[in-house]
Amino acid sequence: MPQVKIIAKNFMDMVASLPAIKLDKLYNNVFICEAILRSLPPLAKKYVLQMLYIDVPVPATMMEEWVLADGTSKHRVAIDRLIQLRIFSEISDRKRGTSYSLNPTFQNNLQKHIISGGVLPREPMNSDNAIKLPSLQELETYALKQWECFLLQLINSGQGEKLTGISSSMMKIFQRGLLSQRDKDGPRLTESGFQFLLMDTNAQLWYIIREYILNAEERDVDPADLISFLLELSFHVTGQAYNLNTLTEVQNNTLKDLADLGLVKLQQGRKDSWFIPTKLATNLSVSLADSSARKEGFVVMETNFRMYAYSTSKLQCEILRLFARIEYQLPNLIACAITKESLYNAFDNGITSDQIITFLQQNSHPRCADRVPSIPENVTDQIRLWETDLQRIEMTQAHFYDEFPSKDVFEAACDFAREWRGLLWEDSKRMRLVVKSEVHNQMREFLHTQSR
Amino acid sequence: MVNAIKGVFVSCDIPMTQFIVNMNNSMPPSQKFIIHVLDSTHLFVQPHVEQMIRSAISDFRDQNSYEKPTS
Repeated sequence: MPQVKIIAKNFMDMVASLPAIKLDKLYNNVFICEAILRSLPPLAKKYVLQMLYIDVPVPATMMEEWVLADGTSKHRVAIDRLIQLRIFSEISDRKRGTSYSLNPTFQNNLQKHIISGGVLPREPMNSDNAIKLPSLQELETYALKQWECFLLQLINSGQGEKLTGISSSMMKIFQRGLLSQRDKDGPRLTESGFQFLLMDTNAQLWYIIREYILNAEERDVDPADLISFLLELSFHVTGQAYNLNTLTEVQNNTLKDLADLGLVKLQQGRKDSWFIPTKLATNLSVSLADSSARKEGFVVMETNFRMYAYSTSKLQCEILRLFARIEYQLPNLIACAITKESLYNAFDNGITSDQIITFLQQNSHPRCADRVPSIPENVTDQIRLWETDLQRIEMTQAHFYDEFPSKDVFEAACDFAREWRGLLWEDSKRMRLVVKSEVHNQMREFLHTQSR
Repeated sequence: MVNAIKGVFVSCDIPMTQFIVNMNNSMPPSQKFIIHVLDSTHLFVQPHVEQMIRSAISDFRDQNSYEKPTS
């Protein structure tokens, strides 16, 4: 079974999936237009800017002349993307062939935006003595702490402790692709869930926001409105206060959820309430490739299978607990050990040895990361050996055939089974055959024809 | 006429095969589950015993493990 991987897509794939009417509505917002322009592949950006003041369709053949011969595939990717997002309309004419023109709504709003400059959707509140705003560092600490609390609750739904204000039903939606729902033991992290935890923060955020948006209609919220607001939010300035009175009810409710995720901080004064975007919010319109910041490693792995994680993070402790035995939790040090039993617990949840080894390598402490290999070979080898020990036995639903009337019929049956890729075992001396059950019906029909 | 029997095809190493054969031999006749011993690494067994075999192997593995108590 090919494992379906979690692909962290950004907003633009969701935008591309909206129907045409909603897209045009979305393009009425100049900030959406700018965000989408930013997200485009370089060649697509060029085409949009080049055609910004061209009101007539441009023939496809003319556009092909704009690129060198070796740029053809990039050209195709760019055009496809623009058509997907309905920035380009494709016009087919028998005489003149295919032409492209810009979406008029998108074109007009982008022109306005470039001419009049970027006026924010709402002004920051005047910072006087009445409002004490957190510093950028405090805000970043807050954002990461909120996000980490959310992740802890995401993977620890069995525990009664409630860390965030997100409702149980919403949390279950987020957990849908990450945890297996076994009633007996409670939800457990799956291979996909572990892979999710290995992603960087921005990629994780995209996954969660996407689930939030996909579920919007069940909450009677228009996904287009939600996308619009979230993209708009990414144009706010990190650390500035914005009054809540400028928001609609839907936006207010969304903001409460976003506060739980760490994208905004909500504050209240005597008269006013306001929100402050964090770096997580302003990253929403950044494309995935741009966020290449690497977290510093914190794991020291020893050849005796003991592991020391220099971390104050509860979340990291819970991640390690998935495949290691936690011995001590000190304020900034987690002492643990890789054991066969702890690994079997991980394998039982569907986490693979490759994922565990990758995690250890990627989070290797700077002093160890330069070593070759960064994780001792005896440890990585043993992890793989313990996994293969679980796979010593293979079982396949099958059918056993014997009492063939002749050698020719037996050999023909073997060839037939082989062609259908169902042959598991054969004994030509005693004319016995084992075939996968999926192929049994075909085998039966084949054997009927042989008996005529 | 060709005879067809439904079951589970088991493929594993020699010691594990011996473990399963021994397990089958220790069962009362009504619960024996091996239809055919095909060779030293392959067996053909009753369709319903897949989970039972896996559990038995898991128990056997656990008997050879010691886990330090969490203090």
